[in-house]
Amino acid sequence: MAGSHHISRRDFIKITTAAVGTAIGAAIGLPTIAYLIDPALKAGTTDAWIPLGKLVDFEVGKPTLATFTRSKVNGWEKSVNSYGVFVLRTSDTEALALSNKCTHLGCHVNWDTDKQEYICPCHDAQFGINGDVLGGPPPRPLDRYSGDQVKVEDGTLLIHFLEG
Amino acid sequence: MKAEQKKNVHEKYKIALQKGERFWPDSIFKDLLVSLAIFIVLIMLATFIGIPGEPKADPSDSAYVPKPEWYFLFLFKFLAVYGQIPLLGKIEWIATAVIPGLAILLLFALPLIDSNPYRYYSRRTMALSIMGVFVVSMVVLTTISGVPAVSGDSGMSTMTLLQFLTGLVIPILAYIILVGSSFLAKRSGLFASRLQKWTAIIASGLMVAVAVVVVVMAPPAAAGTEVQLANTLSEQILLGQDLYSINCVECHGPDGEGGEVIGVEGFEGVILTPINTKDIMYTFTDETLANIIAYGQLEKEHAMPPFGRAYGGVLSPSEIDYLVTFLRYTWDDRAEMPAGAVSSIPALNPGEVPSWDVHIQLLVKRYCISCHRAGKQNNNNLMTSYEEMLTSGDDAPLITAGDPESLMLKLINGQEGKDPVTDKVIRQMPPTRLLDPQYVDMLTRWVMAGMPQTAEEAAALFVTATPGSGSSAAPTPTPTP
Amino acid sequence: MWNKLFAWLDERLALNDLYKATLDRPEPKGNWWNTLGSASLFLFLLQGATGIFLSVYYTPSPDHAYDSIQYIMNGVAFGWLIRGIHHWGASVMVMVVFIHMLRVFVTASYKYPRELTWLIGVGLLLCTLGMGFTGYLLPWNQKAYWATTVGTAIAGSVPWIGPFIQKALRGGTDLSALTLSRFFAAHIWMLPAVLAGLIGVHLFLIIKHGESEFPGKDD
Repeated sequence: MAGSHHISRRDFIKITTAAVGTAIGAAIGLPTIAYLIDPALKAGTTDAWIPLGKLVDFEVGKPTLATFTRSKVNGWEKSVNSYGVFVLRTSDTEALALSNKCTHLGCHVNWDTDKQEYICPCHDAQFGINGDVLGGPPPRPLDRYSGDQVKVEDGTLLIHFLEG
Repeated sequence: MKAEQKKNVHEKYKIALQKGERFWPDSIFKDLLVSLAIFIVLIMLATFIGIPGEPKADPSDSAYVPKPEWYFLFLFKFLAVYGQIPLLGKIEWIATAVIPGLAILLLFALPLIDSNPYRYYSRRTMALSIMGVFVVSMVVLTTISGVPAVSGDSGMSTMTLLQFLTGLVIPILAYIILVGSSFLAKRSGLFASRLQKWTAIIASGLMVAVAVVVVVMAPPAAAGTEVQLANTLSEQILLGQDLYSINCVECHGPDGEGGEVIGVEGFEGVILTPINTKDIMYTFTDETLANIIAYGQLEKEHAMPPFGRAYGGVLSPSEIDYLVTFLRYTWDDRAEMPAGAVSSIPALNPGEVPSWDVHIQLLVKRYCISCHRAGKQNNNNLMTSYEEMLTSGDDAPLITAGDPESLMLKLINGQEGKDPVTDKVIRQMPPTRLLDPQYVDMLTRWVMAGMPQTAEEAAALFVTATPGSGSSAAPTPTPTP
Repeated sequence: MWNKLFAWLDERLALNDLYKATLDRPEPKGNWWNTLGSASLFLFLLQGATGIFLSVYYTPSPDHAYDSIQYIMNGVAFGWLIRGIHHWGASVMVMVVFIHMLRVFVTASYKYPRELTWLIGVGLLLCTLGMGFTGYLLPWNQKAYWATTVGTAIAGSVPWIGPFIQKALRGGTDLSALTLSRFFAAHIWMLPAVLAGLIGVHLFLIIKHGESEFPGKDD
């Protein structure tokens, strides 16, 4: 065989050995990469209408904190996470909700009745009654549920909660 | 080894090296090919055979028959066979510690005790024979490891003797001959060598032959209780639902609504609060629910009995897990039910006739078979299969094709029926709460259309009712009581 | 350009010397039976790799071991493949190591000057069996639990020190979270460390003495 082809037997063996080694490496390596980063790739969107309470219980023009819990499955563990929204009843029939997560780095904001602002205790962010940024580091207004993300059914206020 | 012999070895090796090949790339090439072959075999095994499912560990289950991994089976079987020896067999540690310990010691000390200067096969008959008999006996013991040593209570039966023979007697005799023959070697090397070779061959052949007899004669393995395993979350919820239907519905209701318990021995008249509420689902963790199911609540007024095997019940830890998963995803509104898990009974289109396979079986499983199965108080009306549904029961026939006055249809509409023969009163079904109207309609359509079993049969009956067509297959509205 | 890079590395890593010492060696005429040793090494590395990847998701506690493995099998991409390779790889490795030992026995390669190589090899076999035994418990299913109960009971039958050994293995009188923890530690740290060390010496000796030649009629 040696001599009658362009590559010698020596080189053929070397190339084949390298190829086989690479094949084995790839066959293990590629699935492994998918295996390791799998949780990051998972979509995991939750999509649910959350009841926040009777609309009549919310005073018009006064942001009120409503909390709810969602359970989430991480791998094999079920855990329960709490969420909070400030409900702002704009009229007798309408309302909107603002997430209480500061858009800077995620701390929970509080409504200051005297200042009529949401204040974030972490880095002194300030948001107006509709969630718009008044001062401080946040890059965007508070996440808002309004329009078709809010509905009232049998007097109960619900928001369309999307996560993930 | 004398210095001259050592020099010999080195010189021979030098010559062998000159006539040989290079490690890189020749040896490595062969190595990699074999490694690749093994790798591919492993991928095939992982893909096409996979790993058999096993239920969760249940420390309270003392009936489980444990087996070690296959490469320890020979030792396992050796212990079992050794244990059959009268008197000596009672001294367990000889077989568990001494003999394996000796074997390992021999293995370690091999280069020291093997004083034979030769390496060629025909000059090493003793070593090869002993190892040969040992390996064959390992394989034989592994092969017969599934066959019980003692059948029934007959003690030393033929089966026991045969296993004794192939597992202990033949190899030990062979070893004795082989070691003894080493003394002969001093006088007649050739004879000793032949003796060793043939002892090994005959002993191996005998062991294999007796093992074959043992395997052929072996009684068929008792079918183990089938364990249902659920892998994905959807499967767990569905399996949990089945378990709930069988174990829990008769007291807690098919929708967890509770109410008055009727027809359960020892619990008649007990009123249960619902378990499908936030009060339970938000305040009890999965672990709490599992503990309640396992241990029961004997000191409470309703005295829920224990269901966990550890406390005398019938459910394994795996099964309790599935139950809890079902409860959690069905009645806890914070948990999202995964797609494909809802075994909801498919709703019917107008004019559609339900079938046993697709609709009625699910309906009956959910709402009826907690009572209408073997062993429960149900006048022998069983509903766990199509045949049972149609034919069983002291009051049979409960359903007659096309007859709106069928006893079962009257009962599910809330009427009390009377047994035509004994004049005994039969109350409404289900006793605590009537089915949803859509399910009453579903059962009615099914009976009126002739109780089709398969989806194909039912589809063939799908006929849009035309006035005056007289077709008995046309679905009729729910009969008014 | 590659040559320059190689030269730079060679000056600092002595790559060429490494090559000459380990790879550029003569060997006796090879036989396919000789591949079993490197096959054992390949399997050890494969088991090590798949084992490390499994440990990213596996939890060694009785409460979570079973569920975490369910997740690996059904929830993680290619989890079934990694676990499958590890499961079957264990059985194949025991078989390959054993057949390798038989081959060495049959060709009497354990004789002078390779006695130490053989001694270490027997140690490797025992460690491999130990890996199999400790790994078997980790799924914490019925098979694992009860087989380990019996296995540790057998260890406990040794006279005098038996009960002590049994309690040491189990981390107590019965199988518990302590058993699972120590078997896990043994399986991912202790035994692999011993295996790696012994393999290192085994390989050193093989390179030093060379692969033995197949015995001919005059050996």
